[in-house]
Amino acid sequence: MVPVSYYVLLSAVLFTLGVVGVLTRRNALIVFMSVEMMLNSANLALVAFAQRWQSANGQILVFFVITVAAAEVAVGLALLVTIFRSKRTTDIDEINTLKG
Amino acid sequence: MNILIMVIFVVLAAFTLAAGVMVVTVKNIIHAALWLIASFFSVAAMYLLMEAEFIAIVQVLVYVGAISILVLFAIMLTRHVTGEGVRQLYKRWWIALIVAAALFGVLIVPTVFNYEWAVQPSGAQISIASTVEIGTAFMREYLLPFEVASVLLLVALIGAIVIAFEERSTRRRVLTLAEEVEQRRQRNESLRLAPTTHASETSE
Amino acid sequence: MPDIQIPSIDLGVSLQLLIIFGGAMVLLLADLFSGEGNKRIVGYIALLFVVGAAAAGVPYWDAPRSTFNGMLVLDNFALTLNWIFLLSTAITILISLEYLPRQGIERGEYYALLLFALGGMMLLAQGTDLIVLFLGLELLSITLYVLAGFAYPRLSSEEAAMKYLLIGAFAAGFLVFGIALLYGATGTSSLAGIANKLGSGLAADDVAFMLAGAALVIIGFGYKISMAPFHMWTPDVYEGSPTPVAAFMSVGTKGAGFAALARLLLVALGSQYATWGLILAILAAVTMVIGNVSAVAQTNVKRMLAYSSIGHAGYILMGVLSAGSPAAANRGIEGFLFYLLAYSLTNLGAFAVLIALEQRGEAAWSLDDFAGLWHRQPFLAIAMALCMFSLAGVPPTAGFWGKFYVFTAAWEAGLQWLAVVGVITSAIAAFFYLRIIVQMFMRDPVREISPSLDRNLMIGVGLAALGVIVFGISPTPVIDLVQGSVLALSR
Repeated sequence: MVPVSYYVLLSAVLFTLGVVGVLTRRNALIVFMSVEMMLNSANLALVAFAQRWQSANGQILVFFVITVAAAEVAVGLALLVTIFRSKRTTDIDEINTLKG
Repeated sequence: MNILIMVIFVVLAAFTLAAGVMVVTVKNIIHAALWLIASFFSVAAMYLLMEAEFIAIVQVLVYVGAISILVLFAIMLTRHVTGEGVRQLYKRWWIALIVAAALFGVLIVPTVFNYEWAVQPSGAQISIASTVEIGTAFMREYLLPFEVASVLLLVALIGAIVIAFEERSTRRRVLTLAEEVEQRRQRNESLRLAPTTHASETSE
Repeated sequence: MPDIQIPSIDLGVSLQLLIIFGGAMVLLLADLFSGEGNKRIVGYIALLFVVGAAAAGVPYWDAPRSTFNGMLVLDNFALTLNWIFLLSTAITILISLEYLPRQGIERGEYYALLLFALGGMMLLAQGTDLIVLFLGLELLSITLYVLAGFAYPRLSSEEAAMKYLLIGAFAAGFLVFGIALLYGATGTSSLAGIANKLGSGLAADDVAFMLAGAALVIIGFGYKISMAPFHMWTPDVYEGSPTPVAAFMSVGTKGAGFAALARLLLVALGSQYATWGLILAILAAVTMVIGNVSAVAQTNVKRMLAYSSIGHAGYILMGVLSAGSPAAANRGIEGFLFYLLAYSLTNLGAFAVLIALEQRGEAAWSLDDFAGLWHRQPFLAIAMALCMFSLAGVPPTAGFWGKFYVFTAAWEAGLQWLAVVGVITSAIAAFFYLRIIVQMFMRDPVREISPSLDRNLMIGVGLAALGVIVFGISPTPVIDLVQGSVLALSR
């Protein structure tokens, strides 16, 4: 068996990669993908911890996280496509009618 | 056997990380999406390695089958501006890097690295949650979250429709190719006849 | 194949939730059958459901119980919060009824979505399991992304929705990873279970893990309640969203986020107060300073209200964190609930006045537009003045008692410096609240604006303003209510 800590470490690295993606990239779609990576890394950690505690709970939590991710993506991409139709850009810095 | 599993894990982990790095760094957004799919796949393989087969299947079905495809569709629909050549990074990207490094360094590394994991009972048969067990749990302990998740999906459905659905009265209908050609022809004609109507038409 | 036996469920606990979710489904159908251009009927039906849900909670006062395997509770704490949320939603519906057709964005789904969001908020108040809290928060957030973009031909609205969505998804990532770490450290996702584990003593390594997880969860919630330094999105999103939605967000997300945070901190992590108490106290102080100081520079009243709502998040947080200290356990919760009620009424009232001034196609949100309001619409001017006094914490308004409560709670918790920071920032805040009052009563109108005040909006504004002044003059009923709500919060 692979020690649980390896999985957790891997998931932590993936999570940080996702954070880097969100903070550095300007394209809304890539930001989205980075967020998906963050959620995915959390899922990996949850499954690993489920193995640690020998229970199904962790896996069930993963199921709910996946559900939420799917819902979020559906709404998010609908918004993205709409905003693109009216503004022709997916660059989040140019989404700046509102002064930040 | 153990060594084999270890090797598989290392290969998968390296691949997952490489794919993750590519998602965050490549310029071409379609490549980023494809790398994302690759990373989802290798994470699914890891679930299999942990004998969480139900989650592995769901991962492939939902993440790869639905979410990635949606992302690809969104890229296609917005493709004019998502190619290479536009500025990709925040001007102050290095601040973000420092923030992320601090997050990783302060919060996660010490806790994971210094951790002494309880040694798993060697030899003893490790009980892994089966799909039946998970299904039963949805109907018993986790009934409430299960119901709420269904409401959540309903809301997402309604929300996506509310946002993206174009009402006849307020938005332009998507034209068929024939109609579009016809419209363009008419516009050209009207332009030729009366150039002054041009302004009012484009501002519509 | 074993039979799956669904455990018996105490439906009373989820009765309010059932009414709200069922109501939302009914509204979707009603929308289908109601004629084009007459969606108000849907709004009225929504109001009926909200009132019904509020009434349905009455028999459960002082009868705390839980069901769904302990994942959902209905104690007095949750019940009071539910009532506050229901009241906020009712006022939001009232002030939306005429706003939507006037802006040309009237669609029946609006009210259904509002009820779904309300359901999410109630889940946050009643949930006692991390996964329920997570699902409730996401239900609320996803609905609000849609509502923020509801005025979609208007670009600012779409942008607000996009911004909110990106920030919200980012925050959700932190929240989920935090939950994963908490689960990893304790092996359970139930708040009581975590508290038990902590009580029975964790290994030092597990404690480190648990703290990292708790920090990430707090960051995740911090975005939702716009706590500094995670507040940056607030003014942009509030300004771009349709005004009733901004009003709903400013009281709803905040209230629900704080409700969940309070339960998490006090029930699950109560034993770790020594660790998070000071950190959150510093963050609360920073939040109050940033929110109120930035608000001073604003000439756009909608943005000013957004910044001031950041400041108020700091005051509410003060109540919540004081409750962690044994010395002020009850006082902190009382302060939190009282402040939340006062703030909800006041902010809704203030936003409602903005709605009255907002015409189709142009928004009258600059300070100058308030000049001479007293001469044109005395009713609006008085309501706005009351709300401003309450936000500033001037007696005899509800806002004063709220501030008084949280300051004493912080004082009793041994955080005297925090109370002092609170008083100083309130003094700064009084400047820009009073500036609006001066504009309304002492200046002549700068330009011609005809505020549109219809019956429903009037009821909404009147309800809010009446609550502010009545609870300010005789706070006893509310104090009784919040004092009753404290006892049941199991610790």
